[in-house]
Amino acid sequence: MQGKIPEKNDLALFFEAKSLAVIGSFKEAVFGGYVAVKTLLNSGYAGKIYPVNPSYKEVLGLKVYPYVKDIPGEIDLVLIIINCRAVPKVMEECVEKGIQAVILVSDGFAERDEAGVALQKEILGIARKNKLRIIGPNTAGIANPVNGLIPCPYAMGYERIKTGGIAICAQTGMINPQAFPYADLHYGVSKICDFGNKSDVDECDMLEYLENDPATKVITMYLEGIRDGRRFLEISKRVTSKKPVLILKSGRTKEGARVSASHTGSLAVDDQIFNAACKQGGVIRLEKFSEIFELPKIFSLQPLPKGDQLGIISFTGGVGVLATDEGEKYGLSIAKLSPETIIKLEAIFPGLGKTIVDIGPGMVGVNDYMSVYPEIMKTVLSDDNIDCLLNIAWADPSGSLTEGYIKTYKELQERYQKPIATWVYGPRLPGKDDLALRLEDLGFPVFSDFETSIKAFGMAWQYAVRKKGEE
Amino acid sequence: MMGKFLIFDKLKEEGRSLLTEFESKELLKQAGIPVVVTKLAKNQKEAVLLSQKIGFPVALKIASPDIIHKTDSKGVKLSLNNVAGVRAAYNEIVEAVKKQHPNALIHGVSVQKMVRPGTEVIVGTSRDPQFGPFIMFGLGGIFVELLKDVSFRIIPIVQKDAEEMIKEIKGYPLLQGYRGKEPSNIPALVKMILKISNLIEENPQIQELELNPVFVYRDRALAVDARVVLE
Repeated sequence: MQGKIPEKNDLALFFEAKSLAVIGSFKEAVFGGYVAVKTLLNSGYAGKIYPVNPSYKEVLGLKVYPYVKDIPGEIDLVLIIINCRAVPKVMEECVEKGIQAVILVSDGFAERDEAGVALQKEILGIARKNKLRIIGPNTAGIANPVNGLIPCPYAMGYERIKTGGIAICAQTGMINPQAFPYADLHYGVSKICDFGNKSDVDECDMLEYLENDPATKVITMYLEGIRDGRRFLEISKRVTSKKPVLILKSGRTKEGARVSASHTGSLAVDDQIFNAACKQGGVIRLEKFSEIFELPKIFSLQPLPKGDQLGIISFTGGVGVLATDEGEKYGLSIAKLSPETIIKLEAIFPGLGKTIVDIGPGMVGVNDYMSVYPEIMKTVLSDDNIDCLLNIAWADPSGSLTEGYIKTYKELQERYQKPIATWVYGPRLPGKDDLALRLEDLGFPVFSDFETSIKAFGMAWQYAVRKKGEE
Repeated sequence: MMGKFLIFDKLKEEGRSLLTEFESKELLKQAGIPVVVTKLAKNQKEAVLLSQKIGFPVALKIASPDIIHKTDSKGVKLSLNNVAGVRAAYNEIVEAVKKQHPNALIHGVSVQKMVRPGTEVIVGTSRDPQFGPFIMFGLGGIFVELLKDVSFRIIPIVQKDAEEMIKEIKGYPLLQGYRGKEPSNIPALVKMILKISNLIEENPQIQELELNPVFVYRDRALAVDARVVLE
């Protein structure tokens, strides 16, 4: 045993750090201390940055201190990017300086070999004895776009991340800024945390921190194992009563469990038991890695559905059958339009008032298609029989419809208190991507296909039921 | 609130962790879980008297802490309809077991009421290194063995969990009375699952527990065989 976790479980020292020391190499490269400092400067971090290395005098206009003890004033957070063998000594120096939060980027610990396991134990021992918390080792660290604290040790190719309601945590660096085009996608994030080997700070600590983080509306995680099952269950019951928690967990099969054991040296739990814990804890389980980015958008951008009735506006009726099958998987039914809605739609053009509102056939006969489009959207959304709306938007080759879509969606903002998901399809990527980005900027999530859109509604409905059950 | 079970001390003294079927059922009975009437006969004469008291037909099963698989050890005789049958069965069981397991400690033979078959289900508990004690529910027989049609929850559970874990299995329509089959009393099953959860929560020394089968009828649920293992 390695002693007790400090009682004070406040990760604010990490995410709200007012001062940060970076211990590493300051040679220009695509990875290391130099990159971390440069990223922090670019991302608008307003706290104090202290580069630490006895071999340098200055980097990027900042004074470099030989050792942490030489830094004047207090330090909230330390980023360590040095050879693993030197880590225990540097950790002791951090302890002497009174530091309580360390992001240990260095690798060569439990993920590597037996010696690494012993080394990880040693540094954890130092941490526990001195009430110091560690994220990592073997991590690409954290990000907080709100205060610009993005100490990414890898070159990411962009400077800022849009702030938003989604917190993403994972036992992999595949979620860090260097691995995902957050900026290009205008993807709104509250916090990012890569647990690395998860020697200390784990999923439960993050859940507890994010529970009370006002910027976080939804929590999404990729985990290889659960450190403390009982604590996880207890905490997730509490957190999911406030905000949705979505988890992808590897090791679903025995083979997967073996791979994960050798990957980051974590324990895999029996999948059915974990599934049971998710059900009891109100946690939504994800199935694919891409879902940890896609599905939270429905929660961060849209209200929860009040019922299970799904409305669809489409350019083709063909999607209807597939949508019905897909909806069924998540307990959603395709909504029947009310008689009033049918009358109104039929008045726009005959044949429009069907269960799947198919605007394709009528389009040919309408000169200015976008002149009736807002009316169709509003009529369908006003129908009490509809709890959520999937809109399938066609981005035409010339992009001539885009402005019309944007104008229509602007008029829908905050008017209906019903979630809207959009799937944009079309023959040209630039037009398709442009429309999708602009819709998301307006707060309307766009999903990569209509199945994912329906799944997002399914997850939102599942969470709405969980919240209702509590009232 | 359930008191401490005396059987725990007895097992500790005797240095064993497996309760016999009779002991398991006694423990379950004390915990308020309906079990089929089961008595322990220490000799042939007692077996006959108990059979008459319980009423024929009865089943006789070996009662030994050293025999885990009673049927494989020829330690089970079912559907005995009269005194002569019970007498013969008692001797056959004891002789067969002694022959196969000369060193087995034999408490005697348990005498059980033969009940009419109901829908077979299984309720079990065990411990996960990460999540601690958990409970499992499923349909009995091939459904659990071959199709693994079971559901799990972490202990302790609430009523909603018990209801959901019953509805969750694919064979749920069978419990509702599929094609004229006798419908199962779901509330009785829910109650049984909740009581098992409580029992495990309050007695952390129970490592594993399995009621297999439980017969579920229109009006009740009844544990027919049981196995309890302590730490």
